[in-house]
Amino acid sequence: MIARFREGLGRVRRAPALVIGVWLTTLALALGPALVLRSLIEGHLGSSMMADTAATGVNFDWWNEFLAQASGIGQSFVPAILGFAAVLDNLSRLADHKSLPPALAGIVAAQVLLSMFLAGGLLDRLARDRAIGAAAFFSACGLWAGRFARLALLAAPAYVFLFLQVHHWLLQQLYERLTHDTTVERSAFAIRLVLYATFTALVCAVNVIVDYAKIRAVVEDRRSMIGAIVAGCRFVVRHPAQTAGLYALNLLVAAVVAAAYFLAAPGASAPLFGFAVGQLYIVLRAAVRLQFMASQTALFQSKLAHAGYVAKPLPTWPDSPAAEALLRS
Amino acid sequence: MRSRRDRCLAALLIAFAIAIGSDDRTRAQDAAGMAPRTASYSIDATLDPAERTITGREVVTWRNPGTIPAYSIRLHLYWNAWRNTDSTWLRQRALAGLGRDELAERSASDFGWQQVTELRLVNPDGTPGADMLASFRYISPTDQNRADRSLAAADLPVAVPPGQSVRMAISWRAQIPRTFARTGGIGNYFFVAQWFPKLGAFEGDGWNARQFFANTEFYADFGAYDVRLTVPRGWIVGATGREQSRTDAGDNTTVHRYVQEDVHDFAWTTSPDFLEREARFEHPTLPPVTMRLLLQPEHAGQEERHFAATRAALRYYGEWYGAYPYPQITIVDPAWHSGSGGMEYPTLFTAGSRWLAPRGSNEPEAVTVHEAGHQFWYGIVASNEVMAAWMDEGLNTFSDARVQDVAFQPDFLVQRFFGGFIPWQFRDIRLSRATDYNDINGYREAARRDAPITPTYQYWPGTHYLITYSKTALWLNTLERLVGWDKLRMAMATYFERFRFKHPTPDDFFSTLNEETGQDLRWFFEEAYATANVYDYAAERLDSVEVETRGFDDGSAATPPTFHESHDDKQFHTTVVVRRIGEGHFPVDVLVTFENGEQVREKWDGQSRWQPFEYVKPSKAVSLQVDPDRVLLLDVNYTNNSITLKPKAGEAADRWTLAWIVWLQDLLMNYAFFV
Repeated sequence: MIARFREGLGRVRRAPALVIGVWLTTLALALGPALVLRSLIEGHLGSSMMADTAATGVNFDWWNEFLAQASGIGQSFVPAILGFAAVLDNLSRLADHKSLPPALAGIVAAQVLLSMFLAGGLLDRLARDRAIGAAAFFSACGLWAGRFARLALLAAPAYVFLFLQVHHWLLQQLYERLTHDTTVERSAFAIRLVLYATFTALVCAVNVIVDYAKIRAVVEDRRSMIGAIVAGCRFVVRHPAQTAGLYALNLLVAAVVAAAYFLAAPGASAPLFGFAVGQLYIVLRAAVRLQFMASQTALFQSKLAHAGYVAKPLPTWPDSPAAEALLRS
Repeated sequence: MRSRRDRCLAALLIAFAIAIGSDDRTRAQDAAGMAPRTASYSIDATLDPAERTITGREVVTWRNPGTIPAYSIRLHLYWNAWRNTDSTWLRQRALAGLGRDELAERSASDFGWQQVTELRLVNPDGTPGADMLASFRYISPTDQNRADRSLAAADLPVAVPPGQSVRMAISWRAQIPRTFARTGGIGNYFFVAQWFPKLGAFEGDGWNARQFFANTEFYADFGAYDVRLTVPRGWIVGATGREQSRTDAGDNTTVHRYVQEDVHDFAWTTSPDFLEREARFEHPTLPPVTMRLLLQPEHAGQEERHFAATRAALRYYGEWYGAYPYPQITIVDPAWHSGSGGMEYPTLFTAGSRWLAPRGSNEPEAVTVHEAGHQFWYGIVASNEVMAAWMDEGLNTFSDARVQDVAFQPDFLVQRFFGGFIPWQFRDIRLSRATDYNDINGYREAARRDAPITPTYQYWPGTHYLITYSKTALWLNTLERLVGWDKLRMAMATYFERFRFKHPTPDDFFSTLNEETGQDLRWFFEEAYATANVYDYAAERLDSVEVETRGFDDGSAATPPTFHESHDDKQFHTTVVVRRIGEGHFPVDVLVTFENGEQVREKWDGQSRWQPFEYVKPSKAVSLQVDPDRVLLLDVNYTNNSITLKPKAGEAADRWTLAWIVWLQDLLMNYAFFV
């Protein structure tokens, strides 16, 4: 397991373009709504002198006035965006199943679709562990996008069930029942932590099966996504300690990255420096995401396929119709 | 049905009781105490924590403080507000969408009730007098809600004339609710308030007693309390007053006797888990006070924060308004999840803290100062919280904000994540008195919901807090900036002195302010208090151009007018327009700043919808500010109060957008995890 973890690290290290690419996709997706927010802020401040202090530090009075009239994306411009609070806010949103500002739902949907599109190419590149070039990468992305969309449709009910029903059972009904007569906050928090852990374990269980389904689909060139899920499930069941251990190790790395950001994030005092540190954090998050993929792929390949084996043929970018015509002639 | 003989006998006994209880003795009591002894209670009560019940018996000595005879009594039975889901309290909650469903879905053991089992007069010799239970009935004078059981009436066998007294014995039993509104029990923590059958207030020509509403608190007359509480042995008790004795009752219970004069309510708490701490408040000119803190074990280490906040309240309220008159005060740190935090009772209050309470943020200081401050605005100056809650809550919010500003800075914003357990302190965001403590943000959203002059029980339940607390604090702070703190403080000190141990009305407050500030402020009260008008002044236009004159001169009889053009690049014509957008009127300053540093300050009475100002100066204008010192804290939009010709909105937008982008990227990465 440790060896696969290290191997995963090596594969990610040898694929810096993937890290940069994943980071850039989030940045590209964020830029559009960011421009909208920028115009909202600029429009609200107008030529007000409140901008003088808002431009050099926090003007909380103005901020609250902005929020009081904000709609759409503007409503998401809250203090929790600052520094490490952003990480807490986003994780807490998931853990407590708080809804997203509706204006951001489209961006999140775009992120999900883009991630789904890229996943095939990323896995293919990481499974081969060698440079394949942009053409082959995007060819793989295109090849797997449709299949992964089908896979997502199969996985979605599990996630929906977890977040809509199981979350409600665990963190609302059960939590309220268990803490109904609790008078000690620490005890209640301990109970909530256990329930968070339970819920997280269930989400991770689904996630790890879906991960191995994708890996098997790519490495074994599977067309049937039902078959891929069954195969992924079978692999996890047959190697429970290694798959769970590797997943936990990767989660630990994610926690270390978050902790590093906790220590480095400067808050609102230095916007450019804060942005730079924030981007470095996002780059590391992208690397961690790829580390999940790479190490899990390495584990699968070490168990059921020799390392580096990818069943499907190497994608080759076709010549243009004109070139083909010339060749035929 | 009673016989005529019984009635006559009862009447005689009443007359005797009244005669004994009247005049000399009560006057002597009044003279000895600080407050009129209008309603005094001697109570024996037993807590059964397993059954979650209280059984009690009280003897009430009531003196008619009115101007007409009293023919009946009014009894508050507050816990009946949670007896059924059709109570006025729960109906109001439902009306405002404040979780009636959640309350209605509670188990039967969470509900509470009070039931009077005996109501009779007490003869002067202490023997039972005429029964009044037969005439006992629930009433709902405000909304005619027949399902409400929070107010009852019973006839007096003989009328009690003004100034005369009567004694009554009332027995009752009660189911302790799971906390609905700051009173109840959870686990082995009990906070017991509004718990005994309590007389309404008789004023002038009748009873001033209303049902229990979701958005109001309480109103009662002053008196003396002698209360014996029987609780399990070893349990710690905190209560209004001072403990006089502790007696082992023999059945694994202990009787705690608490006594307090000159108060208008009595609350208590008990739990085996409290940590007891004690400290002293000492001051060169104010009387010493013993502070007793009942702390939750998980908050060990926060003792000094509670004491420091209580000290600050006793000190600053004492210095500003008048001394705290009692020798002790009890601070109760409520159990988590108990719903009993942040509430005031005479000589006792509940604070509220968290297991993780970062230093540098005013939790628990803010709530502790506020509730300790209620000893002054509510405890001593006992205004009617049902009709004019702003008189205690608003004055107190204004005052506690001032104390926090003086004593507990910096105060950084804290937000909580993960079910509210994990705090995050924003070291970049320092909270301010003017806007954050006075809560302009809350008020802004509810500004038009109600006029403060409306009786509090008629406020929209969903936003009553913002009118009662926030708007009052904002207009008082505005007044402070308008007339100066010295004048306002003197006026409030006079009001405090004049109405301590009394029930002042809004007019009492306003007339004292007018009198003591030496200004007729009715124009302000008539708008800020009597209407829901919103204040919003704005800077609308600022232009500065080189002076240019074009036109015909006067000519003469011989020559027709000639057209001239002149241009002076050393003089600039500046045009300023300011506007009143809101309905509210307030005199504001208008400040124009020029490039050479010159400033012109205009006084605008703020009456018209817009007002122009024009200047010809050797320098261009650079900025315009309406109300530059932010005197009018009720102004709901301060961003539009200024214009600069060198705006930095773009820079600010860049700065904040960069921060937001990282947050959004992190959010997107979370969702990418699932595909």
